[in-house]
Amino acid sequence: MQGQAQQQAYDRGITIFSPDGRLYQVEYAREAVKRGTASIGIRTADGVVLAADKRSRSPLMEPSSVEKIHKADDHIGIASAGHVADARQLIDFARRQSQVNRLRYGEPIGIETLTKEVTDHIQQYTQVGGARPFGVALLIGGVENGRPRLYETDPSGTPYEWKAVSIGSDRGEIRDFLEENYREDVDLDAGVGLALRALAEVSDENLTPEGIGVATVDAESEQFRELPTDELEGYLSEHDLLASDGDGDEVGE
Amino acid sequence: MRTPTDFSDDLDPLNGDHSNVFGPELGEFPHAERRASESAGDKEMKTGTTTVGIRADDGVVLATDMRASAGYMVASKDVQKVEQIHPTAALTIAGSVSAAQSLIRSLRAETSLYEARRGENMSMQALSTLVGNFLRSGAFFIVQPVLGGVDEEGPHVYSIDPAGGTMEEDYTVSGSGSQYALGVLEQDYGDDLAVDEARTVAARAIKSAVERDLASGNGINVAVVTADGVEIDRRKDIEELL
Repeated sequence: MQGQAQQQAYDRGITIFSPDGRLYQVEYAREAVKRGTASIGIRTADGVVLAADKRSRSPLMEPSSVEKIHKADDHIGIASAGHVADARQLIDFARRQSQVNRLRYGEPIGIETLTKEVTDHIQQYTQVGGARPFGVALLIGGVENGRPRLYETDPSGTPYEWKAVSIGSDRGEIRDFLEENYREDVDLDAGVGLALRALAEVSDENLTPEGIGVATVDAESEQFRELPTDELEGYLSEHDLLASDGDGDEVGE
Repeated sequence: MRTPTDFSDDLDPLNGDHSNVFGPELGEFPHAERRASESAGDKEMKTGTTTVGIRADDGVVLATDMRASAGYMVASKDVQKVEQIHPTAALTIAGSVSAAQSLIRSLRAETSLYEARRGENMSMQALSTLVGNFLRSGAFFIVQPVLGGVDEEGPHVYSIDPAGGTMEEDYTVSGSGSQYALGVLEQDYGDDLAVDEARTVAARAIKSAVERDLASGNGINVAVVTADGVEIDRRKDIEELL
């Protein structure tokens, strides 16, 4: 029985190298991420900004039920792009690891440490037979000893640290925009503005407060905070990105 | 045939392994609970030793005597009872030698692994919590350590009881001679002692205990912990430090 199971084992893994050394399942999972709506992360001098495109397909859907930005611990937020169901599993994993660190060491987990816990977990799903890789990328942003940190995870389980980054659809376009406009020494307010302008850059229409989500982790308070709708509306009108009632293209062009 | 349930043994299914939150990342503490309950039966905790810990302005001083006792016999005259467990932290041990040695080995492994994985050393908050968790597991129930170390916040001294309770203190003592040593510390401890002054106070405290406690004697070990590291000094004659 045991022997038979082992003989078949080679056939069971769906994450097998192709002859030219690629893992097709992992690459397909990256495609799944590209089909997700965009999430953006910006690291500023005094905090981290996470922003997400939360457009829903129908006005009947409750906007609050679109999960793109999550609190992992008091000092860490996570934005996702790709399969929401997969993201939920990873975020729950991250939440539990955050608490494990507090139980074990009596202090909040580091952003890099948490990212690597999560990516090590993702990696296992690219190597074990019978598993499917996670079809989701995450932006993990937070503050560690007063220092803002921003990381990306991808379906292969590789961690990357960024100053500003986007995942999901229009990644290339948003990256170009961020490379053009990012400044390292700006404050959190300017970071939120930059993230919203980046979202607007790839959006056909202007933005509505319900169609986006923004959260920050402030370096001083070290607290995750999701911005309420009225605050988002303020930012949008300040940057002239707010859609007017009815249609959103009165800006012209 | 592909059976998606088959991998669950290899891959902890989505939950991560949290069974060992309070134990070591490396190895395990076998039968810890049974040992703890057996130890709890011994009403009297014998810790023939004196150890002290003092927080100074930019460092920590830990000192111990050098005697190991077995009942009314001196089992060893040259024991080191303060050991480095972290680049900038040390632990004194009172109680069972086997438990203390094993605790120190475990702590060294954990602090090294933590540094290798995270690229930074454990803070004293993390280290004291870890020691408390280990003792709470029951695997080392018969030790009463004093932890001292320096991190980015500065110097810290912790008194740790055998059941895993951790208390941060300016100065603390453990072992059978602790009351004699504590008397000296109550008189001589001051808020802004320099490391050298704290070393003299610690030596005086150990001397007092060695004079009056049967189970303490045979010289002194002094560990000085600063941001630069841990230096351990061994003297058969305490007078050299006074």
